[in-house]
Amino acid sequence: RKTLLSVLTQGVNTPGALYFHIGETEKKCFIEEIPDETMVIGKYRTQLWDKQTTSFLPSTPGLGMHVEIKDPDTKIILSRQYGSDGRFTFTSHTPGEHQICLHSNSTKMALFAGGKLRVHLDIQVGEHTNNYPEIAAKDKLTELQLRVRQLLDQVEQIQKEQNYQRFREERFRMTSESTNQRVLWWSIAQTFILIITGIWQMRHLKSFFEAKKLV
Amino acid sequence: MEPARIFPCVLSVFMSLILDRFAVLAAFSQAADSDFTFTLPPGRKECFYQTMKEDASLEIEYQVLDGAGLDVDFFISSPSGHLLFNDYRKSDGVHTVEALEMGDYMFCFDNTFSTISEKLIFFELILDNMDMAEDPDDWKEYIHGTDMLDMKLEDIMDTINNVKSRLGKSVQIQTVLRAFEARDRNLQESNFDRVNLWSVVNLFVMVIVSAVQVYLVRSLFEDKRKNRT
Repeated sequence: RKTLLSVLTQGVNTPGALYFHIGETEKKCFIEEIPDETMVIGKYRTQLWDKQTTSFLPSTPGLGMHVEIKDPDTKIILSRQYGSDGRFTFTSHTPGEHQICLHSNSTKMALFAGGKLRVHLDIQVGEHTNNYPEIAAKDKLTELQLRVRQLLDQVEQIQKEQNYQRFREERFRMTSESTNQRVLWWSIAQTFILIITGIWQMRHLKSFFEAKKLV
Repeated sequence: MEPARIFPCVLSVFMSLILDRFAVLAAFSQAADSDFTFTLPPGRKECFYQTMKEDASLEIEYQVLDGAGLDVDFFISSPSGHLLFNDYRKSDGVHTVEALEMGDYMFCFDNTFSTISEKLIFFELILDNMDMAEDPDDWKEYIHGTDMLDMKLEDIMDTINNVKSRLGKSVQIQTVLRAFEARDRNLQESNFDRVNLWSVVNLFVMVIVSAVQVYLVRSLFEDKRKNRT
Protein backbone atom coordinates (compact mmCIF):
# COMPACT_ATOMS: atom_id res chain seq x y z
CA ARG A 1 0.00 0.00 0.00
CA LYS A 2 2.97 2.26 0.68
CA THR A 3 4.25 1.89 -2.88
CA LEU A 4 0.78 2.72 -4.23
CA LEU A 5 0.70 5.97 -2.29
CA SER A 6 4.23 6.83 -3.35
CA VAL A 7 3.38 6.29 -7.00
CA LEU A 8 0.37 8.60 -6.66
CA THR A 9 2.46 11.35 -5.10
CA GLN A 10 5.09 10.90 -7.77
CA GLY A 11 2.38 11.59 -10.29
CA VAL A 12 1.51 14.93 -8.69
CA ASN A 13 4.96 16.28 -8.02
CA THR A 14 7.55 16.60 -10.77
CA PRO A 15 10.62 14.46 -10.12
CA GLY A 16 13.51 16.35 -8.57
CA ALA A 17 16.22 16.00 -11.20
CA LEU A 18 18.99 18.32 -12.28
CA TYR A 19 18.31 19.83 -15.68
CA PHE A 20 19.95 22.22 -18.12
CA HIS A 21 19.13 23.77 -21.47
CA ILE A 22 20.78 22.80 -24.70
CA GLY A 23 20.69 24.47 -28.09
CA GLU A 24 20.03 22.68 -31.33
CA THR A 25 23.59 22.18 -32.50
CA GLU A 26 25.08 22.41 -29.07
CA LYS A 27 27.05 19.58 -27.56
CA LYS A 28 27.28 19.22 -23.81
CA CYS A 29 30.02 17.07 -22.39
CA PHE A 30 30.56 15.71 -18.91
CA ILE A 31 33.69 14.10 -17.61
CA GLU A 32 33.65 11.14 -15.26
CA GLU A 33 36.91 10.12 -13.69
CA ILE A 34 36.49 6.51 -12.68
CA PRO A 35 38.57 3.44 -11.82
CA ASP A 36 38.57 0.43 -14.15
CA GLU A 37 35.80 -2.22 -14.25
CA THR A 38 33.26 0.31 -13.02
CA MET A 39 29.79 0.43 -14.45
CA VAL A 40 28.19 3.76 -15.26
CA ILE A 41 24.49 4.22 -15.98
CA GLY A 42 23.23 7.48 -17.41
CA LYS A 43 19.56 8.39 -17.63
CA TYR A 44 18.14 11.45 -19.33
CA ARG A 45 14.74 12.90 -20.08
CA THR A 46 14.06 15.69 -22.56
CA GLN A 47 11.39 18.36 -22.74
CA LEU A 48 10.77 20.82 -25.52
CA TRP A 49 9.74 24.46 -25.18
CA ASP A 50 6.27 24.97 -26.62
CA LYS A 51 5.53 28.53 -27.69
CA GLN A 52 1.76 28.09 -27.64
CA THR A 53 1.51 27.04 -24.03
CA THR A 54 4.78 28.85 -23.12
CA SER A 55 5.93 25.88 -21.14
CA PHE A 56 7.89 22.73 -21.56
CA LEU A 57 6.05 19.75 -23.01
CA PRO A 58 6.56 16.51 -21.08
CA SER A 59 8.06 14.34 -23.80
CA THR A 60 8.60 15.02 -27.45
CA PRO A 61 8.39 11.99 -29.70
CA GLY A 62 10.78 11.97 -32.61
CA LEU A 63 13.35 14.11 -30.87
CA GLY A 64 16.34 12.06 -29.85
CA MET A 65 19.73 12.61 -28.34
CA HIS A 66 23.00 11.31 -29.64
CA VAL A 67 25.23 9.99 -26.90
CA GLU A 68 28.96 9.62 -27.45
CA ILE A 69 31.30 8.25 -24.80
CA LYS A 70 35.07 8.37 -25.05
CA ASP A 71 37.54 6.48 -22.89
CA PRO A 72 40.70 8.05 -21.36
CA ASP A 73 42.61 7.35 -24.63
CA THR A 74 39.97 9.38 -26.54
CA LYS A 75 38.72 6.24 -28.23
CA ILE A 76 34.97 6.14 -28.75
CA ILE A 77 33.41 3.32 -26.76
CA LEU A 78 29.77 4.20 -27.31
CA SER A 79 28.14 6.26 -30.01
CA ARG A 80 24.41 5.79 -30.26
CA GLN A 81 21.14 7.54 -30.85
CA TYR A 82 18.50 7.33 -28.20
CA GLY A 83 14.91 8.56 -28.09
CA SER A 84 13.61 11.51 -26.17
CA ASP A 85 14.02 9.53 -22.94
CA GLY A 86 17.06 7.37 -22.82
CA ARG A 87 19.25 5.22 -20.70
CA PHE A 88 22.82 4.41 -21.61
CA THR A 89 25.31 2.26 -19.80
CA PHE A 90 28.95 1.38 -20.14
CA THR A 91 31.71 -0.28 -18.14
CA SER A 92 35.17 1.22 -17.97
CA HIS A 93 38.11 -1.00 -18.88
CA THR A 94 40.86 1.50 -18.25
CA PRO A 95 40.95 3.88 -15.30
CA GLY A 96 40.81 7.56 -16.10
CA GLU A 97 38.72 10.39 -17.46
CA HIS A 98 35.80 9.23 -19.53
CA GLN A 99 33.91 11.84 -21.49
CA ILE A 100 30.13 11.61 -21.96
CA CYS A 101 28.83 13.92 -24.68
CA LEU A 102 25.20 14.62 -25.55
CA HIS A 103 23.76 16.49 -28.48
CA SER A 104 20.35 16.45 -30.07
CA ASN A 105 19.85 14.72 -33.38
CA SER A 106 17.10 17.05 -34.48
CA THR A 107 17.13 17.90 -38.16
CA LYS A 108 13.69 19.46 -38.13
CA MET A 109 14.36 23.14 -37.47
CA ALA A 110 10.70 23.73 -36.65
CA LEU A 111 10.94 21.74 -33.42
CA PHE A 112 13.60 24.04 -32.11
CA ALA A 113 11.93 27.29 -33.11
CA GLY A 114 11.86 28.35 -29.48
CA GLY A 115 15.52 27.44 -29.27
CA LYS A 116 15.50 25.50 -26.04
CA LEU A 117 15.53 21.87 -25.16
CA ARG A 118 15.45 20.96 -21.50
CA VAL A 119 17.47 17.88 -20.60
CA HIS A 120 17.16 16.18 -17.21
CA LEU A 121 20.27 14.15 -16.53
CA ASP A 122 21.30 11.63 -13.93
CA ILE A 123 24.56 9.70 -13.99
CA GLN A 124 25.16 6.89 -11.53
CA VAL A 125 28.56 5.32 -11.03
CA GLY A 126 29.72 2.06 -9.52
CA GLU A 127 27.81 0.80 -6.54
CA HIS A 128 24.87 3.11 -7.23
CA THR A 129 24.18 1.22 -10.46
CA ASN A 130 23.27 -1.97 -8.63
CA ASN A 131 19.63 -2.84 -8.66
CA TYR A 132 19.15 -4.33 -5.22
CA PRO A 133 15.62 -5.62 -5.62
CA GLU A 134 16.90 -7.55 -8.62
CA ILE A 135 19.88 -8.92 -6.70
CA ALA A 136 17.62 -9.98 -3.85
CA ALA A 137 15.41 -11.86 -6.26
CA LYS A 138 18.29 -13.50 -8.11
CA ASP A 139 20.26 -14.66 -5.07
CA LYS A 140 17.22 -15.15 -2.85
CA LEU A 141 18.43 -12.99 -0.01
CA THR A 142 16.77 -12.04 3.24
CA GLU A 143 16.62 -8.37 4.13
CA LEU A 144 19.60 -8.56 6.44
CA GLN A 145 21.66 -10.32 3.82
CA LEU A 146 20.66 -7.76 1.24
CA ARG A 147 21.66 -4.83 3.41
CA VAL A 148 24.98 -6.41 4.25
CA ARG A 149 25.54 -7.07 0.55
CA GLN A 150 24.93 -3.39 -0.14
CA LEU A 151 27.45 -2.40 2.50
CA LEU A 152 29.97 -4.77 0.98
CA ASP A 153 29.44 -3.23 -2.47
CA GLN A 154 29.84 0.23 -1.04
CA VAL A 155 33.09 -0.67 0.67
CA GLU A 156 34.38 -2.37 -2.47
CA GLN A 157 33.70 0.75 -4.48
CA ILE A 158 35.53 2.90 -1.95
CA GLN A 159 38.46 0.50 -2.04
CA LYS A 160 38.59 0.62 -5.85
CA GLU A 161 38.53 4.38 -5.80
CA GLN A 162 41.33 4.43 -3.24
CA ASN A 163 43.49 2.16 -5.36
CA TYR A 164 42.90 4.36 -8.34
CA GLN A 165 43.73 7.37 -6.19
CA ARG A 166 47.07 5.79 -5.36
CA PHE A 167 47.82 5.31 -9.05
CA ARG A 168 46.94 8.92 -9.84
CA GLU A 169 48.93 10.26 -6.93
CA GLU A 170 51.96 8.35 -8.18
CA ARG A 171 51.59 9.86 -11.64
CA PHE A 172 51.21 13.28 -10.05
CA ARG A 173 54.34 12.78 -7.99
CA MET A 174 56.30 11.68 -11.05
CA THR A 175 55.27 14.78 -12.96
CA SER A 176 56.19 17.02 -10.03
CA GLU A 177 59.57 15.41 -9.59
CA SER A 178 60.29 15.56 -13.29
CA THR A 179 59.40 19.27 -13.38
CA ASN A 180 61.55 19.88 -10.36
CA GLN A 181 64.52 18.13 -11.92
CA ARG A 182 64.09 19.90 -15.21
CA VAL A 183 64.05 23.29 -13.51
CA LEU A 184 67.27 22.45 -11.66
CA TRP A 185 69.12 21.05 -14.68
CA TRP A 186 67.99 23.82 -16.93
CA SER A 187 69.24 26.50 -14.52
CA ILE A 188 72.65 24.83 -14.35
CA ALA A 189 72.75 24.39 -18.14
CA GLN A 190 71.74 27.99 -18.66
CA THR A 191 74.53 29.28 -16.43
CA PHE A 192 76.96 27.03 -18.23
CA ILE A 193 75.81 28.18 -21.67
CA LEU A 194 76.04 31.82 -20.66
CA ILE A 195 79.60 31.42 -19.41
CA ILE A 196 80.67 29.51 -22.52
CA THR A 197 78.99 32.02 -24.82
CA GLY A 198 80.66 34.90 -22.99
CA ILE A 199 84.09 33.32 -23.27
CA TRP A 200 83.56 32.51 -26.95
CA GLN A 201 82.39 36.03 -27.70
CA MET A 202 85.40 37.61 -26.02
CA ARG A 203 87.86 35.30 -27.72
CA HIS A 204 86.29 35.72 -31.12
CA LEU A 205 86.20 39.51 -30.90
CA LYS A 206 89.76 39.60 -29.55
CA SER A 207 91.05 37.57 -32.50
CA PHE A 208 88.94 39.73 -34.84
CA PHE A 209 90.43 42.95 -33.52
CA GLU A 210 93.92 41.50 -33.66
CA ALA A 211 93.32 40.51 -37.28
CA LYS A 212 92.13 44.01 -38.08
CA LYS A 213 95.22 45.42 -36.36
CA LEU A 214 93.20 47.46 -33.91
CA VAL A 215 94.70 45.96 -30.77
CA MET B 1 5.80 -10.21 -12.16
CA GLU B 2 4.05 -10.18 -8.83
CA PRO B 3 0.55 -8.74 -8.59
CA ALA B 4 1.76 -6.26 -6.02
CA ARG B 5 3.92 -4.65 -8.70
CA ILE B 6 1.48 -4.81 -11.59
CA PHE B 7 -1.23 -2.77 -9.88
CA PRO B 8 0.83 0.39 -9.24
CA CYS B 9 2.15 0.20 -12.78
CA VAL B 10 -1.32 0.00 -14.29
CA LEU B 11 -2.51 2.78 -12.06
CA SER B 12 0.40 5.00 -13.01
CA VAL B 13 -0.23 4.45 -16.72
CA PHE B 14 -3.89 5.24 -16.14
CA MET B 15 -3.01 8.44 -14.34
CA SER B 16 -0.57 9.55 -16.99
CA LEU B 17 -3.25 9.18 -19.62
CA ILE B 18 -5.71 11.32 -17.72
CA LEU B 19 -3.42 13.92 -16.26
CA ASP B 20 -1.47 14.97 -19.31
CA ARG B 21 0.53 17.47 -17.33
CA PHE B 22 2.01 15.01 -14.95
CA ALA B 23 4.60 12.77 -16.47
CA VAL B 24 4.94 9.63 -14.40
CA LEU B 25 8.33 8.15 -14.96
CA ALA B 26 8.75 5.31 -12.56
CA ALA B 27 12.14 4.58 -14.06
CA PHE B 28 13.59 8.09 -13.79
CA SER B 29 14.34 9.45 -10.36
CA GLN B 30 17.53 11.10 -9.29
CA ALA B 31 19.56 9.89 -6.38
CA ALA B 32 20.22 12.17 -3.45
CA ASP B 33 23.80 13.00 -4.38
CA SER B 34 25.22 13.66 -7.79
CA ASP B 35 28.37 15.17 -9.13
CA PHE B 36 29.31 16.39 -12.57
CA THR B 37 32.52 17.54 -14.23
CA PHE B 38 32.34 19.61 -17.39
CA THR B 39 34.37 22.05 -19.47
CA LEU B 40 33.29 25.65 -19.62
CA PRO B 41 34.57 27.37 -22.78
CA PRO B 42 35.88 30.95 -22.53
CA GLY B 43 33.29 33.70 -22.65
CA ARG B 44 30.45 31.30 -21.84
CA LYS B 45 28.01 30.85 -19.00
CA GLU B 46 26.54 27.46 -18.13
CA CYS B 47 23.43 27.16 -15.98
CA PHE B 48 21.95 24.16 -14.22
CA TYR B 49 18.56 23.91 -12.60
CA GLN B 50 17.42 21.82 -9.65
CA THR B 51 13.81 21.35 -8.67
CA MET B 52 13.37 21.67 -4.93
CA LYS B 53 10.49 20.85 -2.63
CA GLU B 54 9.68 23.07 0.33
CA ASP B 55 11.85 22.57 3.42
CA ALA B 56 14.36 20.58 1.44
CA SER B 57 17.96 21.68 1.56
CA LEU B 58 20.60 21.63 -1.09
CA GLU B 59 24.33 21.71 -0.56
CA ILE B 60 26.40 22.58 -3.57
CA GLU B 61 30.16 22.35 -3.69
CA TYR B 62 32.19 23.31 -6.72
CA GLN B 63 35.86 23.45 -7.70
CA VAL B 64 37.74 24.66 -10.71
CA LEU B 65 40.04 21.81 -11.73
CA ASP B 66 41.87 23.21 -14.75
CA GLY B 67 42.26 26.38 -16.73
CA ALA B 68 44.60 29.36 -16.31
CA GLY B 69 43.78 31.27 -13.14
CA LEU B 70 41.63 28.41 -11.77
CA ASP B 71 38.73 30.77 -11.08
CA VAL B 72 35.14 31.14 -12.12
CA ASP B 73 32.12 33.29 -11.25
CA PHE B 74 29.28 31.45 -9.57
CA PHE B 75 25.79 32.47 -8.51
CA ILE B 76 22.61 30.80 -7.28
CA SER B 77 19.17 32.29 -7.77
CA SER B 78 15.81 31.22 -6.39
CA PRO B 79 12.79 30.37 -8.58
CA SER B 80 11.48 33.92 -8.17
CA GLY B 81 14.75 35.38 -9.43
CA HIS B 82 16.35 36.48 -6.15
CA LEU B 83 20.10 36.18 -6.11
CA LEU B 84 20.95 33.94 -3.16
CA PHE B 85 24.72 33.64 -3.44
CA ASN B 86 27.25 35.32 -5.67
CA ASP B 87 30.91 34.30 -5.85
CA TYR B 88 33.29 36.41 -7.85
CA ARG B 89 36.30 34.61 -9.37
CA LYS B 90 36.68 31.98 -6.74
CA SER B 91 38.44 28.69 -7.30
CA ASP B 92 36.19 26.63 -5.03
CA GLY B 93 33.17 27.14 -2.85
CA VAL B 94 30.49 25.49 -0.74
CA HIS B 95 26.94 26.79 -0.33
CA THR B 96 23.89 25.42 1.42
CA VAL B 97 20.54 26.51 0.06
CA GLU B 98 17.46 26.19 2.26
CA ALA B 99 14.48 25.84 -0.05
CA LEU B 100 12.03 28.40 1.29
CA GLU B 101 10.08 28.39 -1.93
CA MET B 102 9.21 25.43 -4.08
CA GLY B 103 10.47 25.51 -7.64
CA ASP B 104 13.51 25.38 -9.82
CA TYR B 105 16.66 26.82 -8.33
CA MET B 106 19.21 27.96 -10.88
CA PHE B 107 22.96 27.95 -10.38
CA CYS B 108 25.37 29.20 -12.98
CA PHE B 109 29.08 29.13 -13.68
CA ASP B 110 30.27 32.19 -15.53
CA ASN B 111 33.51 32.27 -17.53
CA THR B 112 32.74 35.44 -19.50
CA PHE B 113 35.61 37.35 -17.91
CA SER B 114 38.12 35.09 -19.63
CA THR B 115 38.72 35.31 -23.38
CA ILE B 116 41.12 32.45 -23.97
CA SER B 117 41.17 29.95 -21.16
CA GLU B 118 38.73 27.08 -20.90
CA LYS B 119 37.84 26.02 -17.37
CA LEU B 120 37.25 22.48 -16.14
CA ILE B 121 34.61 22.67 -13.41
CA PHE B 122 33.52 20.02 -10.94
CA PHE B 123 30.38 20.40 -8.81
CA GLU B 124 28.57 18.18 -6.36
CA LEU B 125 24.96 18.41 -5.23
CA ILE B 126 23.78 16.94 -1.95
CA LEU B 127 20.04 16.94 -1.40
CA ASP B 128 18.26 16.51 1.92
CA ASN B 129 14.62 16.00 2.85
CA MET B 130 13.53 15.59 -0.70
CA ASP B 131 11.03 12.84 0.16
CA MET B 132 12.03 10.58 -2.67
CA ALA B 133 8.86 9.24 -4.19
CA GLU B 134 10.21 5.73 -4.19
CA ASP B 135 12.05 4.81 -1.02
CA PRO B 136 15.06 3.01 -2.47
CA ASP B 137 15.65 1.11 0.72
CA ASP B 138 12.13 -0.20 1.11
CA TRP B 139 12.87 -3.66 -0.15
CA LYS B 140 10.41 -5.54 2.01
CA GLU B 141 8.37 -6.85 -0.87
CA TYR B 142 11.39 -7.94 -2.91
CA ILE B 143 13.08 -10.15 -0.38
CA HIS B 144 12.78 -13.84 0.13
CA GLY B 145 12.50 -15.65 3.42
CA THR B 146 12.55 -14.21 6.88
CA ASP B 147 15.33 -13.66 9.28
CA MET B 148 15.46 -15.42 12.61
CA LEU B 149 15.95 -13.48 15.85
CA ASP B 150 13.31 -10.87 15.01
CA MET B 151 13.83 -9.18 18.36
CA LYS B 152 17.42 -8.15 17.67
CA LEU B 153 16.80 -7.46 14.01
CA GLU B 154 15.81 -3.86 14.53
CA ASP B 155 19.05 -3.10 16.33
CA ILE B 156 21.07 -4.74 13.61
CA MET B 157 19.14 -2.80 10.98
CA ASP B 158 19.82 0.45 12.80
CA THR B 159 23.50 -0.30 12.94
CA ILE B 160 23.57 -1.21 9.29
CA ASN B 161 21.80 2.01 8.36
CA ASN B 162 24.31 3.89 10.42
CA VAL B 163 27.21 2.21 8.67
CA LYS B 164 25.59 2.85 5.31
CA SER B 165 25.26 6.56 5.93
CA ARG B 166 28.82 6.80 7.16
CA LEU B 167 30.06 5.00 4.09
CA GLY B 168 28.02 7.39 2.00
CA LYS B 169 29.79 10.25 3.69
CA SER B 170 33.13 8.55 2.97
CA VAL B 171 32.23 8.39 -0.68
CA GLN B 172 31.40 12.09 -0.69
CA ILE B 173 34.68 12.98 0.95
CA GLN B 174 36.48 10.77 -1.53
CA THR B 175 34.83 12.63 -4.37
CA VAL B 176 35.95 15.95 -2.97
CA LEU B 177 39.50 14.72 -2.44
CA ARG B 178 39.53 13.37 -5.95
CA ALA B 179 38.60 16.79 -7.24
CA PHE B 180 41.35 18.47 -5.23
CA GLU B 181 43.90 15.96 -6.46
CA ALA B 182 42.78 16.40 -10.04
CA ARG B 183 43.23 20.11 -9.72
CA ASP B 184 46.73 19.82 -8.29
CA ARG B 185 47.67 17.33 -10.93
CA ASN B 186 46.39 19.54 -13.76
CA LEU B 187 48.31 22.44 -12.28
CA GLN B 188 51.51 20.45 -12.15
CA GLU B 189 51.10 19.16 -15.67
CA SER B 190 50.66 22.66 -16.96
CA ASN B 191 53.74 23.71 -14.99
CA PHE B 192 55.67 20.92 -16.62
CA ASP B 193 54.61 22.05 -20.09
CA ARG B 194 55.47 25.63 -19.32
CA VAL B 195 58.93 24.76 -18.02
CA ASN B 196 59.68 22.74 -21.14
CA LEU B 197 58.45 25.41 -23.50
CA TRP B 198 60.21 28.33 -21.93
CA SER B 199 63.50 26.45 -21.49
CA VAL B 200 63.65 25.70 -25.19
CA VAL B 201 62.67 29.25 -26.09
CA ASN B 202 65.29 30.55 -23.68
CA LEU B 203 67.98 28.42 -25.30
CA PHE B 204 67.17 29.67 -28.78
CA VAL B 205 67.02 33.27 -27.64
CA MET B 206 70.41 33.06 -25.95
CA VAL B 207 72.11 31.50 -28.95
CA ILE B 208 70.56 33.95 -31.38
CA VAL B 209 71.32 36.95 -29.21
CA SER B 210 74.97 36.03 -28.79
CA ALA B 211 75.36 35.48 -32.53
CA VAL B 212 73.64 38.78 -33.30
CA GLN B 213 75.84 40.62 -30.82
CA VAL B 214 79.01 39.31 -32.37
CA TYR B 215 77.75 40.09 -35.86
CA LEU B 216 76.82 43.66 -34.95
CA VAL B 217 80.12 44.42 -33.32
CA ARG B 218 81.97 43.02 -36.29
CA SER B 219 79.89 44.99 -38.74
CA LEU B 220 80.65 48.23 -36.91
CA PHE B 221 84.34 47.71 -37.43
CA GLU B 222 84.00 46.46 -41.01
CA ASP B 223 82.40 49.72 -42.14
CA LYS B 224 85.03 51.88 -40.42
CA ARG B 225 87.82 49.99 -42.15
CA LYS B 226 86.12 50.44 -45.50
CA ASN B 227 85.70 54.16 -44.96
CA ARG B 228 89.34 54.65 -44.03
CA THR B 229 90.78 53.00 -47.15
